[in-house]
Amino acid sequence: MTVSNTVDQYTVLTGDRSKIKDLLCNRLTECGWRDEVRLLCRNILMEKAVAGAVTSNSNLTLEQLITEVTPKARTLVPDAVKKELLMKIRTILTENETEGTDNHDDDEDDEDENGTEDN
Amino acid sequence: MSETGCRHYQSYVKEHSYDTFRVIDAYFAACVNKDAREKKSIHCNCFECGNYGIQLYACLHCIYFGCRGAHITSHLRAKKHNIALELSHGTLYCYGCRDFIYDSRSREYAVINRKLEAKDLQKSLGWQPWVPSAKETNLLLANTRRRLVRPNQTIGLRGLLNLGATCFMNCIVQALVHTPLLSDYFMSDRHDCGSKSTHKCLVCEVSRLFQEFYSGSRSPLSLHRLLHLIWNHAKHLAGYEQQDAHEFFIATLDVLHRHCVKAKSEHESKSNSSGSGSNNNSSNSSSSSHCYGQCNCIIDQIFTGMLQSDVVCQACNGVSTTFDPFWDISLDLGETTSHGGVTPKTLIDCLERYTRAEHLGSAAKIKCSTCKSYQESTKQFSLRTLPSVVSFHLKRFEHSALIDRKISSFIQFPVEFDMTPFMSEKNNSYGDFRFSLYAVVNHVGTIDTGHYTAYVRHQKDTWVKCDDHVITMASLKQVLDSEGYLLFYHKNVLEYE
Repeated sequence: MTVSNTVDQYTVLTGDRSKIKDLLCNRLTECGWRDEVRLLCRNILMEKAVAGAVTSNSNLTLEQLITEVTPKARTLVPDAVKKELLMKIRTILTENETEGTDNHDDDEDDEDENGTEDN
Repeated sequence: MSETGCRHYQSYVKEHSYDTFRVIDAYFAACVNKDAREKKSIHCNCFECGNYGIQLYACLHCIYFGCRGAHITSHLRAKKHNIALELSHGTLYCYGCRDFIYDSRSREYAVINRKLEAKDLQKSLGWQPWVPSAKETNLLLANTRRRLVRPNQTIGLRGLLNLGATCFMNCIVQALVHTPLLSDYFMSDRHDCGSKSTHKCLVCEVSRLFQEFYSGSRSPLSLHRLLHLIWNHAKHLAGYEQQDAHEFFIATLDVLHRHCVKAKSEHESKSNSSGSGSNNNSSNSSSSSHCYGQCNCIIDQIFTGMLQSDVVCQACNGVSTTFDPFWDISLDLGETTSHGGVTPKTLIDCLERYTRAEHLGSAAKIKCSTCKSYQESTKQFSLRTLPSVVSFHLKRFEHSALIDRKISSFIQFPVEFDMTPFMSEKNNSYGDFRFSLYAVVNHVGTIDTGHYTAYVRHQKDTWVKCDDHVITMASLKQVLDSEGYLLFYHKNVLEYE
């Protein structure tokens, strides 16, 4: 089990995962990211439709759309949003660390096990 | 408009019913309780690579989790399974269509699960797309004219006629109308007046004012109805004399607050009897409005903060803490003699002085609750919670036994202001206390006679000067170089409840 898996499991278990997800969705909506990405998708679809009219092949699958939009959408996420999320996650994890040292020991064991497995 | 998914999903539901979807959604997408979260954190990982990562799909035909892309699709292809559930947002995916699908029945079940999850985690429901009600749809259809707000547009700006030394009112109204949260509230027509006599309700009058400001008309407005209402409800302001803008601001908030509470209680008693509990917000707020002397009206939501006062006994170091709600922060400008310090030059100086521990002296001994004796003590203010709009009142008018005077010294104030240093709990990294200046009320003249004007932020980086019926463009430099009497700051990042 990797560190990120442990973090994933821990945040799911405490419910923080869901709260972080909400926060992210809210921030992305507020800053207009959602609208920008929607526009991006629309433009790609329109382009493809025009190109498709020429080549008579206008079917763009969801997967194709996602692969095309994802890198652009990632760069559109404002730094302030990333920073805020990072801060929140850090606080949650440090709170967990200070809550009980027992938990912390377990985590370290997990990391070690994983290290040997990988090798 | 009801959505029914695709033909694959329809035949899937016919064969398997909605049960699998409901269980998988409740356990692995929405996690409705602790048991669900435990199950998800242990079992919900990709069967291909073991990853617990971000976008997992669950097959709805058999027990299988897989990452987005190759891992889940190879399973669906191999087993000839069509329907999968995307777990981070709970969207249905059909491999047959290679697309996300939308089914209104499933969505109803999903909404129930989201509500259960929110309740269990004591969080809000998260962002939900706007679904217009039947009434809103009809309104949109009936009113086809749309107004687009572009940069450099004057919509939202109206001059205000001076009705005889009413500039104190005009500048406060300009500041209030340009308060983003307040305009959001009134422009979305959220005030539902319970009282039959709406012409007596100040909130209705302000609601009407917002409509007037944004009507597109450019002629100056006359606030005689508002003035009349304020005179009726705050008798000490009645008469044709020049009043203090700060006093008027506080009185207006007070009357608005009282009318909101009144309208709500009347509205609730009415809706309870008719049994139309369609509005979740109002029923939620009613239960919490009775606690801690703070209500949930729009004025309190926007303007009320909490001041913490710590009195420390000098003998035993026992701390007694009290909390007081506030609508604004009044700051002394004069050179202080009682507890040292220098004459403040900036807003931050003023706040530092305001939040500094003050020795109460031997003449003012307070009974300490810890050591049960009268002792000398120190008192310190800090900000427990901040409202979404923080208004600072620079006490430029000094009334003392000897002399009444106006302090016209220049106090520098910032555009962007992080209030974290003045909070009671500074290390709370969850809080974000950054504010931006959006209105400044100025007074020119002497203590006896003078004139009020206001600078307001019209759009991002666009400032205007409101001098009664005259509205002119202003630069940020002009705003910051002005004397400043009332300063209005708006919170940058709003928290969700």
